[in-house]
Amino acid sequence: MDSPAANAAFAKQIGLTFPLLSDMNRKMLKTYGILKGYNVQDETYEWALRANIIIDKQGIIQFVEEGDSAVDPNTALTMCTTLHKKESAK
Amino acid sequence: MKHTLTLGLLVAVAFAAAPVAPQAEKSQVAKMTLKVGDTAPDFTLLSDQWKTVKLSDYRGKKNVFLAVYVLAFTGG
Repeated sequence: MDSPAANAAFAKQIGLTFPLLSDMNRKMLKTYGILKGYNVQDETYEWALRANIIIDKQGIIQFVEEGDSAVDPNTALTMCTTLHKKESAK
Repeated sequence: MKHTLTLGLLVAVAFAAAPVAPQAEKSQVAKMTLKVGDTAPDFTLLSDQWKTVKLSDYRGKKNVFLAVYVLAFTGG
């Protein structure tokens, strides 16, 4: 689990300007269904999926991408631009 | 990115125990429970500045881009 301190060092190192969040108790991951359980030799291990989610100003999910396809952020970035244009046109 | 739009949030989650054993069985491979059009459940997470960040704080103000990273290799 990446702690806030590790995230802060990483953000500083690469000059990030947006928050890096730690889900220390995995609550958000469970709520969003991103945390999955796997059985390995009768033990259950929990593992999170890679995911990109876009939520609009009204709190409605506009885009969901998970698994391998979410490794490349370009589709999500295109969706961000589309959402922004849609809102600007209003 | 230049738009006013999006607050990028990165949830960095790195777990020490990876299910890499060859005999690993996937017990649950269900898709994410949320879909487009659903109301995003609120959450409160700890930021790299040790401040709590709530999704609902951005309601009516900004769009949110949530990127969930597993094994983010932040050095943590």
